[in-house]
Amino acid sequence: MTLLLVKTGDRFVRVERRTAVLSIALVATILTVGLLGLCYGASWKSPGDVIAALAGTGDSVVVVRDWRLPRVLAAIVFGAALGVAGAIFQNLTRNPLGSPDVIGLDAGAYTGTLVALTVLSGTSVQLATSSVIGGLLVAATIYLLAMRGGVSGLRLIIIGIAVNAMVTALNSWIVLRAELEVAIAAVGWSAGSLNGVDWADVALPLAIIVVLLAAMVTRAGAVHQAALGNAVAATTGVRLGRLRLTMIAIGVGLTATVTAVAGPIAFIALAAPQIGRRLARAPGVPLLPAALCGAVLLQVADLGAQLLLAPVSLPVGVVTTAIGGAYLIWLLTTEVKRS
Amino acid sequence: MTTTPATTRSPAARHVLVLAAGLVLLAAAVIVGLGVGARSVPPAEVVRALFAFDGGDDHLVVHDVRIPRALLGIGVGAALAVAGVLIQTLTRNPLAEPGLLGVTSGAGFTVILGAAAGLATGAVTELGFAALGAVAAATLVYAVGRSSPLRLVLTGVALSAVLTGIGLGLRLMLPDVFDQYRFWSVGSLAGREQAPLAVPLTVIGLALVAALLLSRPLAAVSLGDTVAHTLGANVTRIRLSALIVVTTLVGAATAVAGPILFVGLIVPQLARRLATGSVGWLIGYAVVLGAILMLAADTIARVLLPTGEVPVAIVTAFLGGPALIAAVRRDRTVAT
Amino acid sequence: MRKNWRLLGAVAIACALVTAGCGSSGDDAAGKTRVVKADNGKITIPENPKRVVATGYAVPALIEADAPLVGISTWKRGVPMMSKSEKATYDKLDKVAGEAAAETNYEAIAEAKPDLIVIGVPKPVLADVDLKRLEEVAPVVAIGPTVPSAWRDLSQRQADAAGALKGFNAAKGDYEDKAKELSEKYGDVLPDVKLAHVGAYGEIDKGTFQREFDDSWGTNVANDIGATYYGEVKEKGGGSKDVSEYPSIEELPEALGDAEAITYSVGPDGEPLKSVKYVLGSKLWKNLPAVKAGKTFPIRYTEAATYGDALLALDALDESLAPLLKK
Repeated sequence: MTLLLVKTGDRFVRVERRTAVLSIALVATILTVGLLGLCYGASWKSPGDVIAALAGTGDSVVVVRDWRLPRVLAAIVFGAALGVAGAIFQNLTRNPLGSPDVIGLDAGAYTGTLVALTVLSGTSVQLATSSVIGGLLVAATIYLLAMRGGVSGLRLIIIGIAVNAMVTALNSWIVLRAELEVAIAAVGWSAGSLNGVDWADVALPLAIIVVLLAAMVTRAGAVHQAALGNAVAATTGVRLGRLRLTMIAIGVGLTATVTAVAGPIAFIALAAPQIGRRLARAPGVPLLPAALCGAVLLQVADLGAQLLLAPVSLPVGVVTTAIGGAYLIWLLTTEVKRS
Repeated sequence: MTTTPATTRSPAARHVLVLAAGLVLLAAAVIVGLGVGARSVPPAEVVRALFAFDGGDDHLVVHDVRIPRALLGIGVGAALAVAGVLIQTLTRNPLAEPGLLGVTSGAGFTVILGAAAGLATGAVTELGFAALGAVAAATLVYAVGRSSPLRLVLTGVALSAVLTGIGLGLRLMLPDVFDQYRFWSVGSLAGREQAPLAVPLTVIGLALVAALLLSRPLAAVSLGDTVAHTLGANVTRIRLSALIVVTTLVGAATAVAGPILFVGLIVPQLARRLATGSVGWLIGYAVVLGAILMLAADTIARVLLPTGEVPVAIVTAFLGGPALIAAVRRDRTVAT
Repeated sequence: MRKNWRLLGAVAIACALVTAGCGSSGDDAAGKTRVVKADNGKITIPENPKRVVATGYAVPALIEADAPLVGISTWKRGVPMMSKSEKATYDKLDKVAGEAAAETNYEAIAEAKPDLIVIGVPKPVLADVDLKRLEEVAPVVAIGPTVPSAWRDLSQRQADAAGALKGFNAAKGDYEDKAKELSEKYGDVLPDVKLAHVGAYGEIDKGTFQREFDDSWGTNVANDIGATYYGEVKEKGGGSKDVSEYPSIEELPEALGDAEAITYSVGPDGEPLKSVKYVLGSKLWKNLPAVKAGKTFPIRYTEAATYGDALLALDALDESLAPLLKK
């Protein structure tokens, strides 16, 4: 294993060579699929047109800069956020199933939306607010229930699954009671979609996510040590209780922010960290590959969502589950063959 | 259910006694289930409907709606509970569940697929599609994830998510099919009385017998591969047969009632406290407890609303969820 | 910064519209506007829209009214009721959105260069549509369904906004003439019959059935020829839940026992849908007085949401209620 030393400020950070190469490759991929996203739409714009439009000249400024750019940016940043959230929870619970969608945050956010759609009048502000509230409530419930002289990973997952099942049952109940039209809208929302996001929708969420990701970076070292086991972490001076709470807060914040804007985009948080871990061949679940894989996955999925039934655009969540899940199964299969 | 302290009686005698108590409870659940529903039928009429059927509305309700429904509840409850026991023993994971392993969503997916193709219109074809999907999903998950219990669950969750996503896409593109699926996707025992139940219930019965026959070799496998090998068990063959039994149970139950997720997780947890380590008794208890839980949940489902009913899967989730949380909080072994 | 971009966007689209739309002499024709009331407020729209995009319930209404459509959402449930020429129009038009509002393709709508967008989705679903972005493209009029019988008013307002009242009034006239003719034909028998309806729309399955009262999907056209459906919902749930309910099959004798005749919804091909078939297959159904007397009538096209559809529904009613006259 080759290690590189990278100087950031006055500190040296050890970066494993494979991770570094992988990261560069993933960033290049993100830029490529991002550019593709700007080119593709109801009419194809050449990369030249796109660059001109980004610079503010040419006749496709509105479409590229006001319509496509926020969508592409949202896909990339939201994907990264979901990847990191998944990595956080998988590290904390030391279990690949411990991702936010498995332990019920998505289901809670969906409940919030359903209430907004069926009880309140369902404006987009209400949708966003109540979905965040729903997600936070469920997260707090799970955390409080799982707390008993410290939080255990497995207990958190099991209680998460239990709460998830109850919340999902509640959701199906609300959908069953709803009128057909509202039910279709609700299911459309439950798939998660980036269709129609514009700058007004994404500006604040993007800022929140950047702040949360920055906060995450300052804790990254401690997280990797914590992932090696409680004993190791304690001897290296990491304060586990507080670290866990901060991590959970960041993970919930990332998931809830994305869900509020785009609806529950399933599977990125589950698949991206696992795909990243396998590509980086790292111990634990590394955060950077998870973030980059999440960004690639979501942007590719969003392109697919626009392409599949063009000109009708599918909710991206439909594609993320298909792509993410199929890729995960394929990875598992190749591993079986290797071993 | 009281946990009796170790007595001087032999374990087998104690098990027989507890099981008999369970059967009495089950009989009580059936009787209550026959009397309660949207149409109020006096207890005397219920008895008369059983022994002196006159073709009136009250008797028709008991005879043609509630009795088939009770039988269905017993079959589905027992099937799901035993499937849960087998999967948990097989994966040595106390949280494994047919739903987690993708078998339920496999069954659900093929039903929408059949509906989208205009093929799954009758109850029998629907059953066929569900069973086919359960088998396909279980085969795929087992083929990919057989090397470790954790990977098995991971593959199952992945497959469920893939199928749910594609299913959702189909539902959004074809709202008519979707509308049908909206109800199919939440499990219920209601409205199945016109469907041919003899075939699926017989299938479930046979699979339950097979599960009992498998209990001894499964106990060996549950001790770990190495121990099992030294005991002379053919681990691969036992795993495969257990998987076939699980698929049959879940496929048949899902085909007739739709996905009901919690019974397979919660009943084995309860039954394990009673069975004290014996896989055979564990399966016996799971049959009885699963049936009781299902009937009780279904009775609650009928009386919750002034008009119409709540699908039973919603009730089981709300019964099973808190019970599971309580069990996890009590259990010190999951603390790391 | 963002505001500047948006302004720029609006200007750019306006330019594009002027150059690509009605040509250079658009200054006087494009100037005339009027104000219509819609779910999203009072909207200023062109006096005579030339390029209209329609979604949801507005699709069948505007195709029938012969509005100048340039793009529509898919509307599969209405296809069986379309005439040959309407079906041809439906097939030919560019699809700019799917069945669900969330599947709206904004770029495709912009490419269609409309001067009016008519959205026919229920109010709660409007949250799924980015109205602001559509408003950058053209004035948006949202007129969505409320109660099942409200299609008369809604389709009129949709047609009016699209400047297609002429085609609309023709269809409305045909319908009203036929309804009058039929209410005279059945005037002696129908108003005296205590009717009940078994529906096929919404949350039916799992041991329940839909009972529809006056002004619901399956009953509102029959109401126009003098039919009355007795009783009312136990608990008003708002919207369509004011006029229909979903009791358990066990309540079938209680719910329909007093009916002298029962109508039930069937598909365009005359086959009962699954939920209705379940009721018809129950022994409790066979025990009902109306069923024993042989007074049950299948009704096609209960999903009618335009006057053209409803005319089909009238013919279907006439066809199946004919035995009532024999007595």
